[in-house]
Amino acid sequence: MFLKKSSEKASFLILKQIKDVEACLITFESFMKAATTEGTVTETLSALADGVAQAENTADQSLRRMIDSLLTESYLPSTKEDLIAISTSCDKVANKCESVAKSIVFRRFRFPAEYAEDVMQILKITREQFQILEESVRMLFEKLGTLIKDHAILDRIRSLESQVDVIEEKLYREIYATELDLAHQDQIALVLENICDLSDIIENIADTIQIMLITRKV
Amino acid sequence: MIYLLLFAGLFMGWSLGTNDAANAFGTAVATNVIKYRTAVIIISTFVVIGALVGGSGNITKLAQLAESNEVTASVEDVSSAIDEGKIADLRLKSALKAFIIFTCAGLTVFIMSFLKFPVSANQSIVGAVIGWGLFYADYSNPEVLSVNLKQFGKFASTWLINPLGAGIISFVIVFVVKKFLEKKLTSMHGYDKLVKLGYLVAGTFASYSIGVNSSASVTAFYYDTTFEQLGQAANLLTDARLTALLGGLAIALGVITFSKRVMMTVGSSIAKITQVDGFLVIIAMAMTILLMEKLMGIPVSTSQAVVGAVIGAGLVSGVRNVNFGVFKKIAVAWVSSPTAAGLLTYLVAFATQGYFK
Repeated sequence: MFLKKSSEKASFLILKQIKDVEACLITFESFMKAATTEGTVTETLSALADGVAQAENTADQSLRRMIDSLLTESYLPSTKEDLIAISTSCDKVANKCESVAKSIVFRRFRFPAEYAEDVMQILKITREQFQILEESVRMLFEKLGTLIKDHAILDRIRSLESQVDVIEEKLYREIYATELDLAHQDQIALVLENICDLSDIIENIADTIQIMLITRKV
Repeated sequence: MIYLLLFAGLFMGWSLGTNDAANAFGTAVATNVIKYRTAVIIISTFVVIGALVGGSGNITKLAQLAESNEVTASVEDVSSAIDEGKIADLRLKSALKAFIIFTCAGLTVFIMSFLKFPVSANQSIVGAVIGWGLFYADYSNPEVLSVNLKQFGKFASTWLINPLGAGIISFVIVFVVKKFLEKKLTSMHGYDKLVKLGYLVAGTFASYSIGVNSSASVTAFYYDTTFEQLGQAANLLTDARLTALLGGLAIALGVITFSKRVMMTVGSSIAKITQVDGFLVIIAMAMTILLMEKLMGIPVSTSQAVVGAVIGAGLVSGVRNVNFGVFKKIAVAWVSSPTAAGLLTYLVAFATQGYFK
């Protein structure tokens, strides 16, 4: 009665939620691929945006289950706060994907195809960042001592974020150097900024984990 | 009515309880590792157990200091009082002296705390006894002088041995545990369990050691060491275990009624060390206090032990991690608490000499 199944434990549920957010990120990548491809019809984009929303909803449910599970687990209050902070920040990644997808569909906005390659590169790096994040969260539950001793894995997340920053800056320069009117330039830049925010959120989660490790140093 | 004089000692115990509880569970409560209610139940229970099991040992040792400083009566004093039919008078005087000693020590703690000076309750009590003795005891008598110098030497040496011992014990424990844990720590869940269990064990052990160390010192001077020999009570209490138990209960009452604020304040300021170091430091403190009780035979300052243990734990990570500035603040308490209590008691002894001489 008092023992939980492993699938009901917070450690399992937080990793499941991260997997669900990753699924949302992958769907968003497909969405952005379509959004930056010339000739994609609105219906296709809408269907893909619905897929992103559905994935976000699944991730949301996982977050709530994870938080509920913490109520009956014997973690320290500070650990519960930290785990909730990681989970809610991961949820922000899914939320951002959903809001960007929706805004593109509602505005019938098409991202110029000449930036497609760079945008997809940003998303690829972001996904890589997220996978490393997933691994570092797994280590919290399975190899805490190793992670406390050596958290180079978190530095890799930061280094990938810097790569995203470089591409982002390059794109801004290019966007504002075009002959497009300022409103159009701003619109493209806004979408780009939102996409790059995903990488920033992941970097912030890495920072949260690092603080967790510092306060738990043996 | 005469038993009302016990209140000064019990009040001293109560105030000690409000403060020393923070050393046992402050960090754990302030960081929400242990609930305040759980901490209070554990401290009050184990302080009383410590008082019952080991507290009485301190009484007989403290009695020597008290007797040579004219606070409690010697066998000769009691014998002559019995012969002269003045045993009731001697009993009242002994209880009044104890009342004055504890009141002066208590006032010193209260005033210094009010002025935000660091203060040690145990050191104030010993200081008050010496203050009384400086006025009344015949220090020209080589026997009295030798007993007092020996006791004072012991008392002063604890200023060094207590924090130094705690530092060494803490260093060894933290060093060994760190080496062992770094390899064994696998999960967040395991870490949290370790921290919770660590604080529970450390807090329980510390509460027991506070019971052993401090219960006697807040009631010892009401205890009649000559009762078994002479069969007549020349002070309020004649049973060593009951004397320690009363002290333990007074400390427990202090923990139950008024320890939360101090626990949160002290706990928050100590919480800058890591959680694992936090409970290891408390274990080192408790071990030191019990060792000092066995080796030196006089109650020592738990705050001195904590400071020593924190520095010892810090040294494991390198000298740069230690804030030696904290020594200055604590050194003030080490010197000022007994000095102020001694001075105050000396003045009261001077003012009341008409009755006692």
